Amino acid sequence: MGGDAYTFELFGLTFNWTNLISGTIICLFVFFLCYGLSRNLQMKPTKGQNLIEWLVDFTNGITRSQMSAGESAKYSYFIFILFIFLFVSNQFGLIFHFGWNGHEYFKSPTADPVITLTFSLLCVTLSHFAGMAQHGMKGYLKEFVSPFTLFLPIKIVEEFSNFLTLGLRIFGNIYAGELLLGLIGQVAFSHGIWTLPIGLALEIVWQGFSVFIGAIQAYVFVTLTSVIFLGR
Amino acid sequence: MFVLAESNALYVGDQIFYLVSFIILALLVWHFAWKPVTDMMQKRADKIANDIDTAEESRQLAEKLAAQRQEELNGSKAEAAQIVEEAKKSGESQRAQIVATAQADAQTMKEQARQDAEQARENALRGAKDDVANLSIEIATKLVQKQLNAEDQQALIDSYIEGLVKHES
Repeated sequence: MGGDAYTFELFGLTFNWTNLISGTIICLFVFFLCYGLSRNLQMKPTKGQNLIEWLVDFTNGITRSQMSAGESAKYSYFIFILFIFLFVSNQFGLIFHFGWNGHEYFKSPTADPVITLTFSLLCVTLSHFAGMAQHGMKGYLKEFVSPFTLFLPIKIVEEFSNFLTLGLRIFGNIYAGELLLGLIGQVAFSHGIWTLPIGLALEIVWQGFSVFIGAIQAYVFVTLTSVIFLGR
Repeated sequence: MFVLAESNALYVGDQIFYLVSFIILALLVWHFAWKPVTDMMQKRADKIANDIDTAEESRQLAEKLAAQRQEELNGSKAEAAQIVEEAKKSGESQRAQIVATAQADAQTMKEQARQDAEQARENALRGAKDDVANLSIEIATKLVQKQLNAEDQQALIDSYIEGLVKHES
């Protein structure tokens, strides 16, 4: 975890090089992964097609377990692309973590709260639009005072807590995972050659566990997103 | 914000960058991967449903054909039995007819033969009668010519003829 954030200013907005590089690489990776797997589609699926169809079925299963078939079809693509993006983001930081001259160039974007909160804000905002589209403006506003008016403050607080918990849960898990990876790395090199085997073993175990956490957190994120969509 | 542990500022630029790149990524993946894959999955689901329907239809058709064939088989069995029965019956009737014809023919022939024999007998009898009459008249004439007069002779002949007539009947 190298030092200060590597930022620059443009049009009065602050940009972070680490996030820009990581995000671009992950977007490219996700695109070429999906593009490569969906070539040569056949009625009887083969290698790559099986994988992407399994992925589609998996994310469709997340939405379908929450809503009716007609409703879930509207959100299934958003859930699919969100899941793949978050999953790849969570895993990339474990495999490649690149820093130079006290600056990080590449890490999991989901280890940055700004990015995870961007995604949770996106999900919550989209869910509001979905609620308006589905019930109309009147029905959407009525949801805030149901079952009765006393619930209005609770519902408003819930909107903020949805936004914060959704974003901070995934950030906390991934950030902690990467932080601990770094700490174990420091332990490995702390006392010369003797701590190396211990550090290596710990690192392997923790990396395996982080892969698991990354998958679970991506799954939890999209599941909760679909729950929020359902709540509208 | 206190949550920005790693970052020392709120990078609004990053947020916009991620939002825009995520939307572009979503659009591209939608066009190049999601749509073809889900289309293919839908097509496959349709095909499977279609195949199930077709299989059901062809099964019903096969069942119907089998039933029809069984029915036809039963029908042909009955028909064969009927044909044999008919042949038997017609043979029987033909036999009866032949026998009857033969019997009738034999009867006719017997009758004819009997009639012929009768005729022949009658003819022979008639011839013999005439001969006997002529002979006896001749004999009688010769015998009585000497003893009887004409009157007695006439009586004798009459009685004789009467006797002949009686005999004949």
